[in-house]
Amino acid sequence: MTDPLDSIIRQAQELTLLLIVVPLLAAFLLASLSRASELLGRIAGPVVLIASALMAGQLWLLVQRTGTVVVAVGGFPAPLGIVLHADPLGVVFALATALMALLLWPRGGPRVREQTLTLLLVAAGSGMALSGDLFNLYVFYEIVAVVSYGLAAGRDRGLAYVAAVRYLILGAVGSAMALIGIGLLYRATGTLNLAHMAALAPGTLDGPLGLAAFTLMVIGFGVKAELFPVNTWVPEVYATASARVSGLLAGVVSKLALVVVVRVLITVFADTSAHLVLLALGLLSVVSGELAALRANDLWRVLAYSSIGQLGLVAIAFAVPGAPGVMAGLVVALHHLVVKPALFLVAESWGGPVSQLAGAGRRSPWAALLFVILVLSLIGVPPFPGFWAKYLLLRGALGQSGLFQVAAAAVGVATVVEAAYLFRIVRLLYRADGERALASRPPAADLVPATVLASVLLVAMFSVAPLGVAVDGIARRASDVGAYVQAVFPAGVPAAFAREAP
Amino acid sequence: MQALATDLELLQTVLYSGAFGLVLLGLYAMASHRHLVRILLGLTLLEGGANLFLVAVGFRADAVAPIVTPGAQALPMVDPVPQALILTAIVIGVGVLALGLALTVRVFEVHGTLDVRALAQRLTQAGEATPEEPSPAPPVSVTRDAS
Repeated sequence: MTDPLDSIIRQAQELTLLLIVVPLLAAFLLASLSRASELLGRIAGPVVLIASALMAGQLWLLVQRTGTVVVAVGGFPAPLGIVLHADPLGVVFALATALMALLLWPRGGPRVREQTLTLLLVAAGSGMALSGDLFNLYVFYEIVAVVSYGLAAGRDRGLAYVAAVRYLILGAVGSAMALIGIGLLYRATGTLNLAHMAALAPGTLDGPLGLAAFTLMVIGFGVKAELFPVNTWVPEVYATASARVSGLLAGVVSKLALVVVVRVLITVFADTSAHLVLLALGLLSVVSGELAALRANDLWRVLAYSSIGQLGLVAIAFAVPGAPGVMAGLVVALHHLVVKPALFLVAESWGGPVSQLAGAGRRSPWAALLFVILVLSLIGVPPFPGFWAKYLLLRGALGQSGLFQVAAAAVGVATVVEAAYLFRIVRLLYRADGERALASRPPAADLVPATVLASVLLVAMFSVAPLGVAVDGIARRASDVGAYVQAVFPAGVPAAFAREAP
Repeated sequence: MQALATDLELLQTVLYSGAFGLVLLGLYAMASHRHLVRILLGLTLLEGGANLFLVAVGFRADAVAPIVTPGAQALPMVDPVPQALILTAIVIGVGVLALGLALTVRVFEVHGTLDVRALAQRLTQAGEATPEEPSPAPPVSVTRDAS
């Protein structure tokens, strides 16, 4: 009676919903659970995250067979109802969010609050990756934002509160800007559904109004994506929060924000010059981030500024029109998603002026080795995956003209600067004549997840070809707007709602 | 009738300029004040402006409120979607404001001041000194209003 493809699609739809619902429910049950039984409270979070990762993995396999799966939440069809869509791009980031949360799970002492926030982050992060409604994306983004403020203030230290409140103020201004941008888009198109907007937008947004809407949204989402000029919170928060929180914010949250931006760019602003806005902000982020990292004198801040630079690279890559840009951006983003949290974990015990690190390589050889591997990949030294990320980025940028050529040159210079300040630290680590190493030894609790991430990097190094094919597939599917609109509206695109002519 | 239409157009202009005026006023307040609570109040103005803008987007000059009762005749309605949106946006705004004020209380407990420039300076100094050390003890002079 039932077509096998139908049952696969139904299973995929259920998984898409569960990816958001399960961690959300678990987040609010966690406090009660850990009050009822300490053991239950301790294992509940990791179990839920493993389940989320398995569901995302299963969904990935299903989506390979079915194409983009669309769920009308609550049975209300688009464009008035909210739809979730599971396409490879979204599923990969939902999977990455769950896995990174598992690796960076808050540990040590009673951590129910941070664990609750981490589960909420996974729920809302999956929502950002999978939602196909602009306002729904905004709501999930706000949940992620509030979670990040809470996590930033998590360490009970006076300076963390200051950093968190300054982060909150900047983030709230950004959210208001994004909301105005969404309002402008709604005014221009009369819909909030991304697919509906993609079908209605062509021709209407290539003007000052469309450009203003996109700029406001990039500024708004750019707060979490660490884009210039709304990234002043980055060094403050990463210097006061724990390595796990910094890893989650720099590794996962920033990428989710950029994925939302690139989705809007591809579906709604494809035929406009809006990508130049993203390119310009990315370029400024790269230049300002890398130069500030060169001047910084504290390892945590060096990593924070380097994170701004790397996110700028992702923005430049995503600004390249078409599938090659999406592919380059994805590779740079996923590479940074693995490398930067691992670096934060290794550096967790190495805070303070970098001069204290002299000779630390002999005291903790494993940590130093991990640091060197990660740094080589971050710079983009050939056999490491980071090389392929930068190669794809440069190839994409050099294929375009004008400002893209400037961006390619800036990426080259930024790489040199990156190498300069990172090798300075590596040299310090292995300095033989240094005085007794002042830096403390990273504990195993930090080094184990860092080792896992570094091995992911090494595995990726030896399987570049299949990974390249997979990412290329994700990028092609993500940039096929026609198929996306077709998946959301199989029976044809509904007309715009009757609106009074302004 | 013509005069009515002009009046309603004027009303729309007033709505939009009011919204952008509130946004600018909020941004100005946030940039010019150093006191954390005043900055948060500026933020509230800014969010109010954003919400008013959304209401203005859905406004229709000749329409009724979007409430459908059984047996009511179908009249042109004001667009209900932006109104649903700002309900959510207002709730989010209140939540963020509450979190911000709670953090502000903690900041005051630890540092004894709410002057953002002084607080930002401590963050920068911590970056140059050793961040491992706990922050220095609060200063003796405890000011309630830094501006």
